[in-house]
Amino acid sequence: MLRIEGLKVCFGKEPILNGVDLQVEKGESVAIIGESGAGKTTLGLSIMGLLNGNAQGTVDLDGLNILSLAEGEIRRVRGSRISMAFQSSRNQLNPSHRIIDQVAEPIIAHRKNGKNEAHTRASAMLVKLGLSSEKFSHYPHQLSGGEQQRVLLAMALAGDPELVILDEPISSLDAASRIEVTAFLQKALVGRMAILVTHDFSTAAKLASMIATLYGGRIIECGPTQEMLSHPRHPYTRALIRSYPNMTTTKDLQGIKGRMERDVSGCAFHPRCTQAVALCREEVPSLSAHNGRWVACHRGGLLTALSAHNLSKSFGKLKAVDGASLTLEHGETLALVGESGSGKTTLARMIVGILKADTGEVFVEGERVDQRGKNFHRAVQMVFQNPGEALSHRLTVLEAVREPLEIQGVGSKADRDKMAMRVIDEVELPTTKAFLDEYPHHLSGGELQRVNIARALVLNPKVLIADEPTAFLDSSVKAKIMKLLLNLQENRGLTILFITHDIAVARKVSDRIAVMREGKIVEEGSVREVMENPLNPYTRRLIEAASDLDSERMP
Amino acid sequence: MHVDIRKELTQIKGGMAGVAIIGAMAVMAISAPLLAQHDPSLQTRFAFESPSVDHWLGTNHVGQDIWSQFVYGARTSLLVGFLSAIFSTCIGALLGMSAALIGGLYDRIVMRVVDAFIVIPAIIILVVLGAYFEPGVWNLIIFISLLGWQWGARIVRAQTLSLKERPHISAARSFGASPFYLTYRHIVPDLGPILLVEFVYAVRRGIFMEAGLAFLGIADPNVISWGMMIHDALQYCYMSVWRWWLIPPGVALSLTIVAITLIGYAFEPVLDPRLRSEVDAAN
Repeated sequence: MLRIEGLKVCFGKEPILNGVDLQVEKGESVAIIGESGAGKTTLGLSIMGLLNGNAQGTVDLDGLNILSLAEGEIRRVRGSRISMAFQSSRNQLNPSHRIIDQVAEPIIAHRKNGKNEAHTRASAMLVKLGLSSEKFSHYPHQLSGGEQQRVLLAMALAGDPELVILDEPISSLDAASRIEVTAFLQKALVGRMAILVTHDFSTAAKLASMIATLYGGRIIECGPTQEMLSHPRHPYTRALIRSYPNMTTTKDLQGIKGRMERDVSGCAFHPRCTQAVALCREEVPSLSAHNGRWVACHRGGLLTALSAHNLSKSFGKLKAVDGASLTLEHGETLALVGESGSGKTTLARMIVGILKADTGEVFVEGERVDQRGKNFHRAVQMVFQNPGEALSHRLTVLEAVREPLEIQGVGSKADRDKMAMRVIDEVELPTTKAFLDEYPHHLSGGELQRVNIARALVLNPKVLIADEPTAFLDSSVKAKIMKLLLNLQENRGLTILFITHDIAVARKVSDRIAVMREGKIVEEGSVREVMENPLNPYTRRLIEAASDLDSERMP
Repeated sequence: MHVDIRKELTQIKGGMAGVAIIGAMAVMAISAPLLAQHDPSLQTRFAFESPSVDHWLGTNHVGQDIWSQFVYGARTSLLVGFLSAIFSTCIGALLGMSAALIGGLYDRIVMRVVDAFIVIPAIIILVVLGAYFEPGVWNLIIFISLLGWQWGARIVRAQTLSLKERPHISAARSFGASPFYLTYRHIVPDLGPILLVEFVYAVRRGIFMEAGLAFLGIADPNVISWGMMIHDALQYCYMSVWRWWLIPPGVALSLTIVAITLIGYAFEPVLDPRLRSEVDAAN
């Protein structure tokens, strides 16, 4: 068993790792995920004992503290009990030796076998990794990057180590070779401890049983692979998954706001976090269990921004909404999909409070909303369907965007103007005097919708309910508005309830989909689950009827 | 729908003509003391005189100067017309708006009262009222206002009902706006164009009613008005005096009513955008 406790690494004065705790059981492989510069490779190197006293803490391999070993003792461990496959981009191979000799070297060095036998084992290993035998006597420069990487993997595994550290094991391979090498590694890692250092979630999903997210020199989230990937709990892990192109999620890629900074007080992620509070600035959160997941976050991971329970509304005999419940996590987009008349808008209006619900409750960040006062309106805002109608024809752009601030009595007039201008700029509209003084009937549909979005954002809401925000726009403008909403989500951590009848749009912009029919939520799940395996026949019909570019397929 | 009053008025040529006529009448009414040669109610022994330098339109049966009466008569017509219009429009707007916003039983009661007032022939009530009270100018204004608000109330209610469901009102509610804020900041200004049109027609109704009552001889005979002049002149229409006694107030009254109708006509597209010319719609 490998046990890492309080591992700290400094290069000069700069801290790279700030206290990493990690355990790897026999037969388990842990993927360390993080952005470049997060300290992933440093972690690997310190386990190898390659950091020459820059590392402090404990790295304990079955009772052997690697950090306290003398160089001679470490050498006996390295290559036989622990080995590391480096990223091939770093010219890790010796240019003056044939590759077969390099792969056989650890076996010979640790005198596990004689030279001939070592060569036999080395070639077997290389063959398994898909390298043809005529290349065994080549020198590294004669090999391609992908081939070099295979050689490095062969070297790491040739010594039959207990613990193998793989640093981006397949990053320089082409797609087809990835499958081959991944399949090999899956077999090769059985019965060993493995630490997989990667920024590639796909590799982690296939090779690791656990994932640990590294940020700012600490592990900030750790849990079983599939759970981590489908339900990340730390905002950073989710943001990383969102920015990773893959075939599983269909939502447009989103980045993470800001950049990684070192020497941040408190939680290292707080400058980029959209749900940070004062405590996050002051204190480092410890890794603790929240609902079966290890998360280092003062707020217990992602918050539930908004939830609605059992909302109902009847108009006379018509049950417009019949016991609908929704939950929105901080910073996610939930698409509410359904045909016209299914009660989507009524549900949204009840949440915002324009309509009074017959039954049901609404919670904002876990607190029940009894009366919709200032706090509620500042937390939840709505963008209406028809951008032209939703703005009063008598108010100029600036006046319209300022209106919520006036109603809520925020700041002085100058403050309000400044705040309004800032959101107008944020929705990518000009802040020239001429534009601010325009009346709605002089604006295009796209501009109108941006003004509407700016107006909804001016109170800094946490949740934005967007009711068919693109229904009245042509497709190019539609795309721009959707992009804008995604960017706002990235930068502000906005939670979006996106109401649409178009499942094709929902698929591109949301994390989850809820399907509504005749006032009831008939299906809810991640976009992928709903799209690939719709359980309700109605959902299936909606998917079949959605737009495609296929001339054969008929709804 | 953004209403530019000047644009609406110039859109239809008559609109500007109407404003010019009413303007001229108003100037005449305001500067009556300067224009009049004599005290309009001063009775002299020179009755039925033909127009002369001293009496531009001659004198009437009790020797009063007709020109002076004509000039002062404009005051009565316009005062009654505009004031009763202001009052009846306000009453109509308040009742209509409150009925739409409060709804329920109150709405039903108000609307039944409106129905009743629409059925009642106003002029007959006025005749009855006129017979009981000696209706001076102020009483007249009050009666006309109280009998003329119902159409306005009905239109305002209908419009408010539609306004309060408009998305921009919903939007303001979603920012936490109070009913008071919604009313004075959104609903009243949005009703503006409709109130304007309603006001114009109420002015016309007021002037018409005042003249009608005077013509029927129900108004206070001491109040100088065009209607009263017509009423008096008609009794002597076998003489040639009608040419300068009957025609000037008749023409002035007709012109004023036509002018107001023209203004109202110019504003009509505000109520019904289908009446807008295509060029305008394209803008």
